[in-house]
Amino acid sequence: MGPQGDFLQVLREQGYALDNLFPSSNGNGGFNQADVTTGTTVFAMKYADGVLVAGDRRATAGNVVMYDRTDKVLEIDRFSVLAIAGVPATAFEMARILEHSFKYYRRSQLQDLSFEGKLRALATLLKNNAPAALAGTGTVAPVFAGYDAQEGCGKIFFYDILGAEFEAVEYAVSGSGSPTIRGILYYMNRWGNGPVGGLNEEDALIFVLRLMTSAAEFDSATGGVDAQAQLYPIVKRISAEGVRTIPADRLKTLFSDKVLNNV
Amino acid sequence: MYEEPYRWIEAVANRRTYLDDQFIQGNPLIAVSFARGILLLTVNRGTEKIYEIYDRIALGGMGHPADLEKLRYTLLDMAHVEGFQRSPSDVTASRLMKNGLAPVIKQAFEEIFKAPYITKVLLAEVGATQDRDHLFSINYDGMFEEQREFGVLVSSSSIRETLSQEWKAQGRPTSLQAAIEVSLRMWGISSLLQTDTPSPDEEEKGAVSAPTTSVATIPDKETIASRIRETLSRETLECVLLDRESGKMETYHTLCQAELQPLIPQSFVPVIER
Repeated sequence: MGPQGDFLQVLREQGYALDNLFPSSNGNGGFNQADVTTGTTVFAMKYADGVLVAGDRRATAGNVVMYDRTDKVLEIDRFSVLAIAGVPATAFEMARILEHSFKYYRRSQLQDLSFEGKLRALATLLKNNAPAALAGTGTVAPVFAGYDAQEGCGKIFFYDILGAEFEAVEYAVSGSGSPTIRGILYYMNRWGNGPVGGLNEEDALIFVLRLMTSAAEFDSATGGVDAQAQLYPIVKRISAEGVRTIPADRLKTLFSDKVLNNV
Repeated sequence: MYEEPYRWIEAVANRRTYLDDQFIQGNPLIAVSFARGILLLTVNRGTEKIYEIYDRIALGGMGHPADLEKLRYTLLDMAHVEGFQRSPSDVTASRLMKNGLAPVIKQAFEEIFKAPYITKVLLAEVGATQDRDHLFSINYDGMFEEQREFGVLVSSSSIRETLSQEWKAQGRPTSLQAAIEVSLRMWGISSLLQTDTPSPDEEEKGAVSAPTTSVATIPDKETIASRIRETLSRETLECVLLDRESGKMETYHTLCQAELQPLIPQSFVPVIER
């Protein structure tokens, strides 16, 4: 029984190897860092009504494209989203554990886990995963965004692979395509037409699509936007009403109107 | 002294009498499956009796809150481990009942040196369509059964039988409002029959003179309405909808007082004395 609604404890009692999700390489040879599938570019940024979280769709292993329809922006519950960069095998497992932990807590304790509590839960998973992260077989550097009901605002946090937690004031980025995005965001906030955080939803979405396109231009592992194949990034919006996925149709219209044509 | 078989049988029989007595003061619980989902309804005196177990599964209870809490945790653990290790669609009320609840309750009931669970439990699972809805109820002795469309927790099995007959005799609710109305009415009937049924002792005494008491008659409309009005004036109505049309993984929705107010038939609303 989980006395404090701790799902991890319940799993441990069932004999689930929670503290060693993916064993680190033990020196048997045959392991090549380039064989590990990794997900690439994700970012979250604040805008007028809350937070937008976006991720490209590509998963790569070395210079091989593994998959072009990956969903790296995962809804953990009604008010929080985990955007993952790194090894999807570990990251998806973490997302599943978090999802069930939050559900279990809410249902057993009859109250929602606080936003801080959710952050701690993710940090703990990352900390327990440190050996695999250092070995390269389970490296995950996620961005966690959500709505803090107690404080009434959207929040963004990012983590290093060992579980250190940092709060982002305006935006957070992760993955191989992120330096480009980080650079543009910095430039826009400093010398652009006002801070990005003040954009309305439509302008913010256009900006997200442009950022993703720029990242794909300079990073071969980032999928970007492929209008021909109907491949758009996954974009989720977090506000007081909860998490909502921006429909691909809307992204399609914005992309063809405002990104392809230089309006 | 319990080594002798007949002593054991006697002890179990005593246990039944004791437990049956305990439930007479309890609040009945009604579950109704209709087009929109499953409605669970009861009234409480401060402790909730309806809980969320998993994405599509709710629990309704009658009896001692501490026992209910223990069983609730058993179900939560089982459901979440299963949903995590397999898939959320593998978590079913049927398996929770058969593998999770029934053995635990039966064992506690039959171990006569330990305390039994003073509780009856109903599990409701909402499906993609109404014919895939499931309602299971279990008695304090571990006997469980599946019910279609209508489920009830009430002090005795004879009242339960009467209610099932009554359910068959009436029209099916098509809207949430209709489901609330019919559930309240069934709740009122259960509550009246439960308190009007003579306790086992009295039944024995009265058996000689009036053997017809075993056939319960449905109280008239006004009696039911007045029982509901009287109860709602001092206790809290608790309503949960497992919403088939929620469009999300999670279907559990507690109807708050503001949502309930316009849905309760006027004749059931307590009159506020000024």
